[in-house]
Amino acid sequence: MRSVLMLTAVLGLLAVFGPSLAPHDPTAIDIPNRLAPPGGVYPLGTDAIGRCVLSRLLHGASWSLGLAFLVSVIGLIAGTLIGLVAAMGGRFVDWIVMRATDSFLAFPDLVAAVVIAGVLGAGTGSLVFALTVTGWMRYARVARGIGLSFGSRGHVIQARLAGLSPVAIARWHYLPALAPSLVVVWTGMLARAILGISALGFLGFGVQPPTPEWGTMLLDARVHLRSTPLLMIWPGLAIVATVLAINLAGDALRDSLSPQERSA
Amino acid sequence: MTALVDVLLRAVVVLAGTALATFALLWHAPGDPALAIAVARYDAVVPPEVLDQIRAQAGLDAGFWSAFRHWITPILTGDFGSSSVSGRPVWPDLRDAIALTVPLALAGLAIGLVLSVPLAVFATRRPGGWLDRSTVAVASLGAAIPAYWLGLLLILLFAVHLGWLPAMGAQTAAHMILPALTLGLGVAASLMRILRSGLLEARGQPFLPALARRGVARNRIGRDHVAPHAAVPVVTVLGLELAFLLEGAVIVEVIFARPGLGSFLVQAISARDFPKVQAVVILTALLFVTVNLLIDLTYRLLDPRTGSRDA
Repeated sequence: MRSVLMLTAVLGLLAVFGPSLAPHDPTAIDIPNRLAPPGGVYPLGTDAIGRCVLSRLLHGASWSLGLAFLVSVIGLIAGTLIGLVAAMGGRFVDWIVMRATDSFLAFPDLVAAVVIAGVLGAGTGSLVFALTVTGWMRYARVARGIGLSFGSRGHVIQARLAGLSPVAIARWHYLPALAPSLVVVWTGMLARAILGISALGFLGFGVQPPTPEWGTMLLDARVHLRSTPLLMIWPGLAIVATVLAINLAGDALRDSLSPQERSA
Repeated sequence: MTALVDVLLRAVVVLAGTALATFALLWHAPGDPALAIAVARYDAVVPPEVLDQIRAQAGLDAGFWSAFRHWITPILTGDFGSSSVSGRPVWPDLRDAIALTVPLALAGLAIGLVLSVPLAVFATRRPGGWLDRSTVAVASLGAAIPAYWLGLLLILLFAVHLGWLPAMGAQTAAHMILPALTLGLGVAASLMRILRSGLLEARGQPFLPALARRGVARNRIGRDHVAPHAAVPVVTVLGLELAFLLEGAVIVEVIFARPGLGSFLVQAISARDFPKVQAVVILTALLFVTVNLLIDLTYRLLDPRTGSRDA
């Protein structure tokens, strides 16, 4: 738990204060200094129209991380509710909900996200919608799985007999038991959201230029692969480092919660 | 038997749900669908009467369900209609695209298996040894590297710096090496993690030392007791890998300008050519439902306990 809190704090600080560390305006154009190498006024050089790469990376952090937080938290809330409804609603409701979950799981989620974001028209709203619609199923599965095994426990039955409403039972009895597993799923989904946002950006269906975002920076850098390869190294490193850190924190958290399933 | 019915029923529900969701998405997409058809067909601004005519023809005027029926009926007989941009039938173009993507996906899967299976087997011989720890580290790193960056890095190294391989297009067999490698490395990274934990679990079974002490040869224990146990997670993963391969193909084909299924889909979306988008989505759903069905049935063969357990 501590590693995830630390990581959340660091990424949160980066998302909030990253832009204020930027030395330049991320959209300021400086044509005479286009494709400048790192050093001098521009610590990481400039892109094809002379914008400061470091400033764009730092501002991009708040876009990538902020949107990934938003997407993964909406998915967490929606998926948990859906899973709890399936677990507490009886066999028929369970069947219906789980078949819907299967339908969404049966489809490769990035392909679905590309179709949804592309058809709705490029933009931040479509991006968030597309990644949320394709990102709630794992939470639902976990919530439903634990919830089902939980429904026949003594204290839950007692709570029901005592006349507690289903909402209160879900709040006070199911949620505390679900929380650790859901946090583990959340770390995985946060990493996926960052990859998804930058993949959609790279395909041109995500955050729109001139907004700095890591995936769109890679897309812009691709054209200058031969002349200025460094341009595509920076955003790639930023994505890999962030995703790797989140995954490692998630692994550590899972190991600390269930030592018998230790993976490494 | 009831289990088989349940599995088939699920497949039908998933397909119907996907078709409905896709149609609902396109129905609510910004822009007038009749206008889009008119522009594609006549390449000009048409009077409102013609738009009404098109609406009546495509069943658009009678509401969502009527339009859905008009759309789904030909698809059920295997007719994907015509492109709303070029007017050409969708299927021949789609077939050509699939013919380019399937070999790429298979090559990627082959590279992934060739890299990950021997490494996982050797690494788990000594859990916690240097080989084991470095494969885990490389696999974790591999899981964090997105295909679009890996592809660019490979182009930079092999096409730009060394000049060994072509980067863009699909003219020769050599054009497939870099895209397949990009896909294959990603597959290897994800396969490695799951193979490793599956093998560790299979090797940790309590009766294995007993067999060894009774003098059963190491190779026979591996073949008869470890391999079948480790096969179950591998079958699951192959299903997941298929999703990974298809997603990867979308990205990799765009990077390497390879006119396969991924480029087909991305171009169709950019051109708002909805019949093409629908055809890709329906085919993808069909592919995944079929594969999941096969996986489900394979489970029942590998692990007789599965039938009684609720998925």
